[in-house]
Amino acid sequence: MDADAFLARVRSGLAGVAPAPLPDVHPQTPASGDGRLFDRFAEELEKAGGTARWVSRQDLSAEVYEAAVEASASTAVVSDDVAEFRERIDRGLADAGCAAAPVSREAAASADLGVTGGVVGVCSTGSVLLRATPASPRIASLLPPAHVAILHEAALVPGFEELFDVLGEQLREANAAVLVTGPSRTTDIELQLVRGVHGPKSMTALVVREE
Amino acid sequence: MTAGDERAGTFAELAHVQLEKPGLRRAIGSAMDRFVLNRANAFAGADLEAMRAAGEAIRAHTVARLDSYLAQFAEAAEARGVKVFFAADGAEAVEYVRGVIRDHGATRVAKGKSMASEEIGLNHALEADGVDVVETDLGEYIVQIAHEPPSHIIVPAIHKKRDEIAELFNDVHHTDLPADPPELTRFARELLRDRFLSAEVGITGVNFAVADAGAFVIVTNEGNGRMCSTLPKVHVALMGMERIVPSFRELAVMLPLLTGSATGQRVTAYLNVIGGPRGPDDVDGPDEVHVVILDNGRSRLLGTEYRSVLHCIRCGACQNVCPVYRQVGGHGYGTVYGGPIGAVLTPLLDGFERAGDLPYASSLCAACTDVCPVRIPLHEHLLSLRRDVARERAGAAERSAFRTWSAVWSRPWSYRLAARFGRAGQALFARGGRIRRAPFPLSRWTSGRDLPPIASRTFRERWKRTGHRREPGAADGR
Repeated sequence: MDADAFLARVRSGLAGVAPAPLPDVHPQTPASGDGRLFDRFAEELEKAGGTARWVSRQDLSAEVYEAAVEASASTAVVSDDVAEFRERIDRGLADAGCAAAPVSREAAASADLGVTGGVVGVCSTGSVLLRATPASPRIASLLPPAHVAILHEAALVPGFEELFDVLGEQLREANAAVLVTGPSRTTDIELQLVRGVHGPKSMTALVVREE
Repeated sequence: MTAGDERAGTFAELAHVQLEKPGLRRAIGSAMDRFVLNRANAFAGADLEAMRAAGEAIRAHTVARLDSYLAQFAEAAEARGVKVFFAADGAEAVEYVRGVIRDHGATRVAKGKSMASEEIGLNHALEADGVDVVETDLGEYIVQIAHEPPSHIIVPAIHKKRDEIAELFNDVHHTDLPADPPELTRFARELLRDRFLSAEVGITGVNFAVADAGAFVIVTNEGNGRMCSTLPKVHVALMGMERIVPSFRELAVMLPLLTGSATGQRVTAYLNVIGGPRGPDDVDGPDEVHVVILDNGRSRLLGTEYRSVLHCIRCGACQNVCPVYRQVGGHGYGTVYGGPIGAVLTPLLDGFERAGDLPYASSLCAACTDVCPVRIPLHEHLLSLRRDVARERAGAAERSAFRTWSAVWSRPWSYRLAARFGRAGQALFARGGRIRRAPFPLSRWTSGRDLPPIASRTFRERWKRTGHRREPGAADGR
């Protein structure tokens, strides 16, 4: 149907319907922050089946090594949005005997591990926001069975309100974004929780503290 | 709805079939108990009533200005490179999707969960074209290969036990899988991974479209929504036209209401925000993103007392608490949307001819209204629909019978006379203090319910004899 005709039909359906005000102030929700940052982030991510680590730049190699060993990874894709940590990531992967490759569909489909950045960490839910950009393709955090996201301490926000305040801005330079909270999961068979359905089976967030 | 499928029977017929299934009631009931408990835990410590009030206000505001928000969304989405199509009805939506698939010469489709696609019978239409459509949500995949409709909005295969699912997989795929959810899930993961990588078109639903951003969000736990919107060259998203919010800001309330009510989660594993096709330098993402906005009878409701049914965010909480749904499951209704929301929405969208019996599939206990995250007065709508159905349906005989009834019961002398005649007449039917079977037309009542007989001595008669004095034996108020 022509858009104008469609909208005209909606408009005529609404004739005589009184406008209702949009609330200015929203109540707190379970996804609102409580003032805590990393502690809460780690607590919530662990509840969702993921792992959170508070790390220095120096620790990065060891943490990446550990994640690669944990995932028994022999191949990894690393996205360009973590270029600033690249040397340390590569060292950790090499120590674990894991070969690193840039993100392509073929490489991501066969990799055991995906390493990406994250632009926002939501502490009330233990979530990491990833943007889809040329430097950070979506498949790096989607196809490999294990995902490590690296984000700066400054990216942590208390809750959903702060996330949604910046999401529009984040999306201006990206065609998509995803808020990831732990590994993929299902309860579709008799409500039994199973982790690792279509997306990663494990998810680790490394929060790099400012020095 | 234009699903084209006739219902397999009336509610009474279908419900009887479901009630006969061994173990089904217990399975659904205990699953629903889990959902009710999860929801309570999810909102523990939060001011849920304040959240519901805000949810209702946001939805009421948005729906009352739906035309301008839809126009704003379409303009912003198109500016981001999204192709927006407005579909007046299911047939137009199906035709559009078929066209997209034809244009790309596509034969393989990976599909995420979408109630709107069920509503318009999309899979059947595409399969008739020879397109291979695979549902990728685990629960949806299970019901698809079982050739059954989903039985619950959130957990479509909740009516199936693990051994039935194992048997189904083993029959279809010639495997020897054990009745073990992790094993069955692992098998489905591998099977569906191939599909994601080879599909030319991905089709998903939409949880919320964001008017000012021209973006939309899909919540999933499994990650199939991410796959469908990332890997195929073309992504088509279907949305009922009411599934919109003014800005991201409102999602801070609406999303916790949705996921808390649906699965008891503060947030799902994935909240996908889709803002358009891949850019020239992107490594992945679809070349084309289409959003199909579906009216399909919804605009007819805008000016009516039923407008608030368009506030629904499809969480399924009303199904979980409904004493009728908990007995018969989604298949008892024989329609895409079951439970209280289905009993309101289906007659409104499909007409009373097809679904006029559904408003009666309720005890009017109002548990649905109490649990609804956006405070839709579902039980009041059910009652109003009964009135409308009666107005449209009642024949001359029924109407004159009720007029007579009303006249008789409005005068003390005729009321007394009626009680006396009734008592004489019921002697033939009352057994053990109940009337289980009565002659036509009362049989229409007694086929499903017992009728209490008129007391051997009515209150009036007793009052007349004893006046205000208490009868012996009733002295302590028993």
